[in-house]
Amino acid sequence: MENINSRLKFYCDADRCIECFACVVACQNAHELPVGIARRKVVTLNDGVEGKETSISIACMHCSDAPCSQVCPVDCFYIREDGIVLHDKEKCIGCGYCLYACPFGAPQFPKDGVFGAKGAMDKCTMCAGGPLETNSEIERHTYGQNRISEGKVPVCAAMCSTNALMIGTSEKVSELYRTRVLARGESKEANNSYLWNVAYNKQSRKGLTQ
Amino acid sequence: MKKYRVLLSSLLLSMTSLYAISTGTYDDPLYGTAMLNAIPKYFAFGEVFTYLQREWFWKGFLIALFLVPVAGSIHYMIIGPKVFSHDGKKIFAFGLFMRIMHNLAALSFLVLVPTGFVMAFGDFFGGGTFVRVCKNLHGIATPVFAITVLPMIIAWIRDMIFNMDDVKWMMIVGGYLSKEKKPIPAGKFNAGQKAWFWIAMPGGILMILTGALMFFLNINLSPVATLFGVSQIDLLRISAIIHNVLGMVVATFFMVHVYMAAIAIKGAIHSMITGYKEEEEVAILHSSWYRKLKEEGKV
Ligand code: HEM
Ligand code: SF4
Ligand code: SF4
Ligand code: SF4
Repeated sequence: MENINSRLKFYCDADRCIECFACVVACQNAHELPVGIARRKVVTLNDGVEGKETSISIACMHCSDAPCSQVCPVDCFYIREDGIVLHDKEKCIGCGYCLYACPFGAPQFPKDGVFGAKGAMDKCTMCAGGPLETNSEIERHTYGQNRISEGKVPVCAAMCSTNALMIGTSEKVSELYRTRVLARGESKEANNSYLWNVAYNKQSRKGLTQ
Repeated sequence: MKKYRVLLSSLLLSMTSLYAISTGTYDDPLYGTAMLNAIPKYFAFGEVFTYLQREWFWKGFLIALFLVPVAGSIHYMIIGPKVFSHDGKKIFAFGLFMRIMHNLAALSFLVLVPTGFVMAFGDFFGGGTFVRVCKNLHGIATPVFAITVLPMIIAWIRDMIFNMDDVKWMMIVGGYLSKEKKPIPAGKFNAGQKAWFWIAMPGGILMILTGALMFFLNINLSPVATLFGVSQIDLLRISAIIHNVLGMVVATFFMVHVYMAAIAIKGAIHSMITGYKEEEEVAILHSSWYRKLKEEGKV
């Protein structure tokens, strides 16, 4: 992973997101997620305040320093060459530590253990399945579809009707976004995405300013 | 006709958005807007928890795991256990109800502490079913322990207030550094037992509360979060930090307690089974209590 810009990244263009929830539903449906689990969420800030309302689609950001992988007591995370952060559900004990370490609230827990205890963690796989045999039935059942191995775009981004949700290498995504911002002709700078600002702002996350 | 089609499709549309809201954990107290608003504050508890769990907690647990077994073995080999006559008179110390409460707590701790260590060293055991079973046992043992906390506090708190005896006890480390049988200044409970009480009871309550927060995760805790002025995710991070640090302390004191009761004072464990302590043991190790009992004519 010499070139950090070749990692796969999501980017939600907050100026385009219309809060339609299509990405959320597409993801839940494609991966047949249990009720209550949403790998992708759409959150609206300043709901109803004119000019200030912002909607963002958010899931796992597949961090380069992946804090979740640093705290896991059973060490079940692995990071692929392309930057996708995945984990092994057979090892996971559902302790919740990855959630506490995650800046974005990505890891979620089905309440399916004894007496409603937290089951194995589930999060966005960037539609890349898991450590089981690629495209096997058991992989699909445990981790959802493996679309990346088939050369397809993750289903949430494919579904996005306004193309607000983009996915690709960070190089490609930022190039696309820069073109958009320039085309809009607004005086906005190229780093005007609300989420990326709070997430990668120097003040808020020291280790993650790439 | 067109009117109805528009109506029908808008109805369908509103239903799909309802579906999204109901299953998309839309404004979940943990995962919703509150989480997004907590992102800029990540550097506080988020980064601290990540750092502590990555660099320090496993070291702390490693020390906690070996400290008492090593120190205990050295003490046993150099100084050895205290042996009191078991043929003399007995003094009644603990009623049936308190014995049941104490032993339920002991049983739950025998589960909580080892399973806690297994989770803390989950990668050593390779994760998976075994560690998961331990996690569930840890959760099941918690309500058992919770039942016993209030009775023990109510029954013993008056005897657990520190006094001058305890200062003297501390100065001579309870007389455990020699084999001499000299009366030790202590009431019904000595300073060591008192310290264990204050760690295990208020500390135990804190362990139950922080454990429960982590167990229930995303039930609505906004009143608690508002009370402390933090977001729910930060509440969970604080809980995890407290549970780990206090867990090391509780586990260490628990092992000391077991060593004293089962090994260092031969047969002391019987008092929590039968309720009776050896008269000689009381006269030496709890001399102030013994004097008081004598004055009251109870022995
Ligand atoms: C007073 C005694 C204790 C009580 C009441 C208690 C209770 C709990 C509860 C209810 C949980 C959440 C379980 C779940 O999420 O399924 C938990 C988690 C945990 N406890 Fe304890 N515990 C105690 C002592 C300890 C000790 C002594 C240790 C360490 C040696 C420990 C280590 C852990 C760890 C590592 C977790 C995190 C994993 C998880 O959340 O499942 N605990 N505890
Ligand atoms: S789970 Fe969280 S910390 Fe881990 S890679 Fe995803 S966004 Fe980053
Ligand atoms: S919940 Fe699972 S993946 Fe997350 S830290 Fe715990 S064991 Fe690791
Ligand atoms: S990339 Fe796949 S798994 Fe991740 S949010 Fe999108 S649809 Fe869900």
